[in-house]
Order: sequence, then structure tokens, then C-alpha cells
Amino acid sequence: MKVKFLAASAIIAALYIAVTMLVAPISFGQVQFRIAEMFNHLVAFNPRYMLGVVLGVLISNFLFSSVGPIDLIFGVGHTVVTLGIFIIICKFVKNIWTRLIINTFLFTFTMFIIAFQLNIVLELPFWETWLVVAAGEFAVLAISAPIMYLLNKRLNFKNLIESE
Amino acid sequence: MMEKMIFGRYIPGDSFVHKLDPRAKLIFVFAFIFIVFFANNAVTYGLLLAFTLLIIFISRIRLYFLINGLKPIVFLMIFTFLLHTLFTREGAVILDFGFLKIYEQGLKQGIFISTRFLVLVFMTSILTLTTSPISITDGLEVLLNPLKKLKAPVHELALMMSISLRFIPTLMDETDKIMKAQMARGSDLSAGPLKDRLKAVVPLLVPLFVSAFKRAEDLATAMEVRGYRGGEGRTRYRQLKWDYRDTICLISLVVLTALLVFYRN
Repeated sequence: MKVKFLAASAIIAALYIAVTMLVAPISFGQVQFRIAEMFNHLVAFNPRYMLGVVLGVLISNFLFSSVGPIDLIFGVGHTVVTLGIFIIICKFVKNIWTRLIINTFLFTFTMFIIAFQLNIVLELPFWETWLVVAAGEFAVLAISAPIMYLLNKRLNFKNLIESE
Repeated sequence: MMEKMIFGRYIPGDSFVHKLDPRAKLIFVFAFIFIVFFANNAVTYGLLLAFTLLIIFISRIRLYFLINGLKPIVFLMIFTFLLHTLFTREGAVILDFGFLKIYEQGLKQGIFISTRFLVLVFMTSILTLTTSPISITDGLEVLLNPLKKLKAPVHELALMMSISLRFIPTLMDETDKIMKAQMARGSDLSAGPLKDRLKAVVPLLVPLFVSAFKRAEDLATAMEVRGYRGGEGRTRYRQLKWDYRDTICLISLVVLTALLVFYRN
């Protein structure tokens, strides 16, 4: 692993956590969500972002949330599996908008992993739980997709980590 | 200065639990998550609750911090309780409101599942409240060491976790500064239609990303200049030490498991 890639991934993870902790409470008033989930969209621009995002999810779930380690295996598993599938899809889809839309629906769909976890731990009904958690995730990713698109115009995410 | 910063959920202290080796605590908590599922009647759930309260007592964490950690999940807990209580239709009817009947088995189920969740949350909270993030990272690295044989980049992962932890406060400061700077220029994140609010986030994130990547580059250069060449042959500043306490901690877990298996239905 190259030192520059290692450092960049670590900083992306730190950024994910910093944004989770700081921006979330004030960002969208009534619609409470983890704005940092938008970082999932980074992978649409370059698959190399995956490591940083996964690491961010891992640290914030493990060390900073009260539900913590229970969420670790399924929460991180959810991100890894979904981003993995998404990277494969990206090999065939080149248009950025299409990728962002696919990513949004993909993450919404794979929330069944989280529903499954809640089903085991709390014995909540699987299908209804899936519907609820998926709706939340969909809202976050759908709202953040245009933000990421705008950001990319200024920052050019693809080269930002490539030049590292 | 870094040491003094309130960081994550960690609350420094010198109780028995604070002094445990992070490896022992990690093994304990992960095993506990599975052991909880052995409980299936009043006696076993009571045992779990008593055990958890005992740990809370010896960790000398103020209940306030634990209750505080519950806030984000209160809704989920109440929802779970009600769902099980109202929709399990077994056993004798305890309460009858005509349109709504509460059954004995339903109430039991509701209490059991809520207890399971509460115990899990408390136990994992105690881990993060009594162990600093950096020692959890150290503990994880050692515990995951066997995976190195499978070519998993354990050292790199642990190093990245440490770097992230080191930079979270820095980046939070930075985010805060940028937010204030943009607000001073008249940007408003909390008013107007959704479209405007979305647009207001962009000038916040652009400088944040730019500065974060600049930091990453500086850091990588600094590491290379100091001759970083991966984990091979590196020595450690913080040494982990396995003590009699850690053995006691794991033995208590074995005893608990035995009791649960013995008393379950």
C-alpha cells in the first residue's frame, strides 16, 4: 500500500467522522440524518475512495455511537458489500449521473442487511423494518447526489485521489 | 493539548474496568454480544441485567453518561417494546381494552427483548466509555494479527485508524471554522427552500475537501521523509500488558455463560 494512498484514506475516514459529528445536527432540521453517508457517492467518481469510506463507517460505528459494536459487523458489512457491488457496476456504467442514481437505489436495496440485523437483535418484523430503514437511507443519498455532482464540478474527485 | 481534548465518548478514570487491557475488553464485549442470545426466560434475563449493573457499578461511570447514550435509540426501544407487547397473542389476557388486548406472553416478550437491547447497549457503551479510542485500535491490531497470515493489511488498517483518530479533532475545528467563515459571508444553512439549503452546503464542503487532501499530502510526505516503510520491524510506544485482572474478567464471562446455559429453558 502506497503511503500517499494510506494517508488519503485515513483523512477521508476522519473527514467522514468529523462531518458526522459536526454538520449533522444543524444541517437539515426536521429530516435528521447522517449527512456523511453522502461520502458513499465518492466511489462513483473513483473506486479508490472505498477504503476511506469503509474506515470512516467502521470508526464512527465502533467508537462514537452508543449502539457501537453491535452495529459493527452488519453496518460495516453493509457498506463493504454495497460498495463492492457498486464498483463492479461502475465498470459497465460510465455516466456519472447514472452511477449516482444506481448507487442511491443500490444502498436503499441493501439496507435489508440492516433490517436483518434488527430482525435478529430486536426481533422486529423483517419486511416492515426494511421499508423504514431503506426510506431513511434513500432520503440521504437522493438528496446528497446532486450535492456531490456539484462538488465534483469544482473539485474533480477522480483526480483528487489519483494524484495522491 | 490533544490529550486534554474531550474525545469520542471516552471518560478517563482509574476503576477496575478502566485498567483492563483493551484486548480483554474487546474479547469480552464481542463474546457478550453472542452470549446475550442464550437468555430466554426471566431468570436468565435477570442474570444478564444483574451482571451488567455490577459492571456499571465497578466501572464507576456515572449513570448520566449511560442514559445520555441511550437518547438516540429511545424511540427504537419504545417501538420494539410496544410491537412485541401488542402483537404477541399467546398466554392469558392481562389487560383488556376491548379493541386492544394485552397478553401475558406479549408483555413478557416485550420486556425480554427490551432488556436484551438495553444490556447490549450498556455493555458496549462501557467499552467505549472506559477505553480510549487509541488503545482500542492498539488492542484490535494485536487481536487481528493472526489475519496477517492471510495477507490482510492489519498493520496498515490500524495505522489508518490511528491517523483518522488523530485528525478528527483537527478536521472538526476546520469544519467549524469554515462554517463560521461562510456564515459571516451571509450563507444560511437552516433557512429557505431545500434547494437553496443544498446549494449552501457546497461552499462548505469545497474548502473542507481541499484542505483535507492537502493535509493528507503533507502527512504522506512527512511519513516518507521519516522513512516509513510499513509495519515490518516497527517497535511500539504504547505497550499492552495482560494482567491478573484481565484473566478475572474473562473467567467471569465463562461463569456467566455457564449460568445462562444452566438456567435457560
